[in-house]
Amino acid sequence: MGTGKARKLRVPATDEGIKAALDALESLWAAVGLSRAVTWPVEVSLDEVLANVVRHGLEGRGASAQVELELRIEPGDPPRCELRVEDDGPEFDPLGAAAPDTSLAVDERPIGGLGIELVRRLMDEVEYERRDGRNRLRLARRLVPMEH
Amino acid sequence: MEIDEEQAGETLVIAPCGRVDSVSSDELERRVVFWLDGGTRRVVIDLSGVGYISSAGLRVLLLAAKRLKPPQGALVLCGLGPSVKTVLELAGLASLFTIEPGREQALARASSGAA
Repeated sequence: MGTGKARKLRVPATDEGIKAALDALESLWAAVGLSRAVTWPVEVSLDEVLANVVRHGLEGRGASAQVELELRIEPGDPPRCELRVEDDGPEFDPLGAAAPDTSLAVDERPIGGLGIELVRRLMDEVEYERRDGRNRLRLARRLVPMEH
Repeated sequence: MEIDEEQAGETLVIAPCGRVDSVSSDELERRVVFWLDGGTRRVVIDLSGVGYISSAGLRVLLLAAKRLKPPQGALVLCGLGPSVKTVLELAGLASLFTIEPGREQALARASSGAA
């Protein structure tokens, strides 16, 4: 892989918007010949982050609410992927949520918070910033198979 | 995502295909609930066609597990690829499910009721 690839897009804060963003990410991988064996953690993370923004941050504002995304793949050995997700919803730091208690039984465990916990574990870097009235989330990961 | 459904004796096999994300998991949930509300008590969910699953998909698997608790019910998962397996493990949920490698083993397990 020679030069890096990047894609910027703006999607509505709806299920259709999430689907469009995940499709764009898939086509970006295809364009640089990366296999799902190394890309899936980024795909799961983008889904979690967007679901969070759409369902919590921008809830009730409908299709007029927009999420801005920048997907960037930097060449290298291994290549690296960086995602930026921005919205102008109310201030909301998803990383501020408490981690779920995985020692609880299946019936007792609350499901909320699980998505963001997965993002923390799947990505190398996760940063939240509130700036200029916008929520800005930056995620990055070296594109190597997941080890755990 | 597409969902294949197949009745094998008393056991229903549900096989989603594609990505089980926050959007498509609603459709999977509708199918699971449809069958469970109809009285189905033995279910195999074959995940061999699933590219990845996010927490919304895990929520559907948990819902199925809660409603199919033994001895009245049985839920067996099979065909877990590395991504699905890893997500289940990272979420701390792997131990909550009965998991078999392939569909044949899963069907045997579900019909024996030892799930």
